[in-house]
Parts: sequence; C-alpha cells; structure tokens
Amino acid sequence: MSGCEHAVEYVYQYIDDEMTLTRRSRVTMHLKRCSKCTDAFEFERKLRAKIESCGKSQPPPELFDHLRALIQQERNTGDADC
Amino acid sequence: MTDWDRRSASWVWEVRHLALLVGGVGTGRRYPERMADQANFERDAMEYAPQLYSAALRMTRNPADAEDVVQETFLKAYRGYGSYQEGTNLKAWLYRILTNTYINKYRKAQRRPNEVELGELQDLYLYRRLGEQSGATESAETTALEMFVDEDIIEAIESLPENFRLPVLYADVDGFSYKEIAEILDVPIGTVMSRLHRGRKALQRKLWNLAVEHGLVEPTP
Repeated sequence: MSGCEHAVEYVYQYIDDEMTLTRRSRVTMHLKRCSKCTDAFEFERKLRAKIESCGKSQPPPELFDHLRALIQQERNTGDADC
Repeated sequence: MTDWDRRSASWVWEVRHLALLVGGVGTGRRYPERMADQANFERDAMEYAPQLYSAALRMTRNPADAEDVVQETFLKAYRGYGSYQEGTNLKAWLYRILTNTYINKYRKAQRRPNEVELGELQDLYLYRRLGEQSGATESAETTALEMFVDEDIIEAIESLPENFRLPVLYADVDGFSYKEIAEILDVPIGTVMSRLHRGRKALQRKLWNLAVEHGLVEPTP
C-alpha cells in the first residue's frame, strides 16, 4: 500500500485524534513528505470545523425558563407525594 | 393517569440503568462513589441545555419538536439524577438520555429500516470533485469550501439518515470521542467509526449535489 493510500485510509482517525502514537507518527511522517495529502487533510479539517460552527444553533431564550419551571413543577409534585 | 406518567415509571429504571452505563465515561475518580443530589440538578445540568437543544434541532429538524425533546430529557434526567454518579461525564449522560428520548419519540413514528444503505462512497469525496473543477491550482479545494453557506451545511447534516447523522453530530458538532459516542449510542466503537466515516462521506456527497444544484460547479459525469 502506498503512503498516500495508507494516509487517506486514516484521515478521519487522524483529524479526530483517535490513533495510537505509533500509527499517528507514521501518517505524520508521510504528510511531511507529501503536499497532496497535506492539502487533503487540511481540507477535511476545515470542513469539520465548518460543520462544527454551522451545526450549532442558539436555543430560544425562553428555553431556560421553561426548563426551570418544569423542574420546579416536578419538585412540587414530588413533595406533595411525601 | 396521563400517558406521560405511565412512561415515567419505566424511565426511573431506564435512567438508573443509563447512569451505570455512562457513569464511568472519562472519569479519573473511582471511589468513593457519590451519587448526585437532585437539589443540584439545575445548577449542574443547565449549562448543557443550549448544546442539547442544538443537537435536538439537528435530530428533529424542527424547533418545537427540539424543545419538546429537551424538556423531556431534562425531566427524565432530573428524575434519575439521584442515580447519576458525581464527577463522571455529565454531558455524555445527558446526551444518552437525549438520544433515547429522541429515538423513542420519533423513530417509532418513522419506522425506518435500521440500516440505510449509502452506497459505495469514495474517500475524500468532496475534495476530489472540487479538485477536478479547479485544475492544478494549489489549495483551491479548501478555498472552494467558502462557497457553502451555513444553510448548505445544515441541509447536508439533516439529509443524513439517522444512523449516520447522530455519530456525525456527536463527533463534529459536540466534540465527543469515539468511546463516548459508543456509550451514548450503545453500539460498539467499530460501529461508531464506520458510521461516522461513512456519514461524513455522505455529507460531502450531499454538499457536492447542492453545489451542482445551485450552479456553483460543473456536474461531473
């Protein structure tokens, strides 16, 4: 298997930081020599960051009040049972 | 007795069970085992409400349903909080309850087949296609990512079949490790990896299709 194939196979484990040190350093060594793979890895990393920032949505401000009221109500029900 | 009350009885057991399973995630403290005090639930859990809401919104694709799922999650978590082991991974514990709540509430209605086929997907799917467009210009693919607006990314996430959407959300948006995702979804770590990797490729294919639809790129044969 060529170094590129090996690196690409592990691209996600690499950018997720989910590899053993030995395996990771083998990929890192390849990246140092291969600008094409470095470019591809950078692309995957940027896309992951974009998904992270776009995937987050703000809750409606009243959510917190609703949750507090819900817990308060549950607490009162619990007390009444005792 | 309402439907809600009937369900809650089985939930006490289920949440306790979850506490045992998820309780051990990422903890350096083994003992003494201290169970959480229900009185502190609000203080401890409220900071996770925005993340839970955001995840629920990507799951249900609808703000009203997302709030319902988060409310039900908080209620179940509050009821089961006495069995949550303090000092362990509270965020993962809450996500596990969120996931089960979502699945119980919505998967029944949808009755989708458990495994959806995504077909064979090439590695570096989007990168390779964008590269074909840009010719030999260096790092043009990474620059091309800027053509995708927030709505495209959200549409691509939400287009994924649930089995693939949840691992992608939990890894990319919520930053959970593979091990944590395995515990939240109650599947082996190998399954998490395969669904996450395939899900990401499918998301890339969707982004590519969106770019073609919007006339931003030339369709490739």
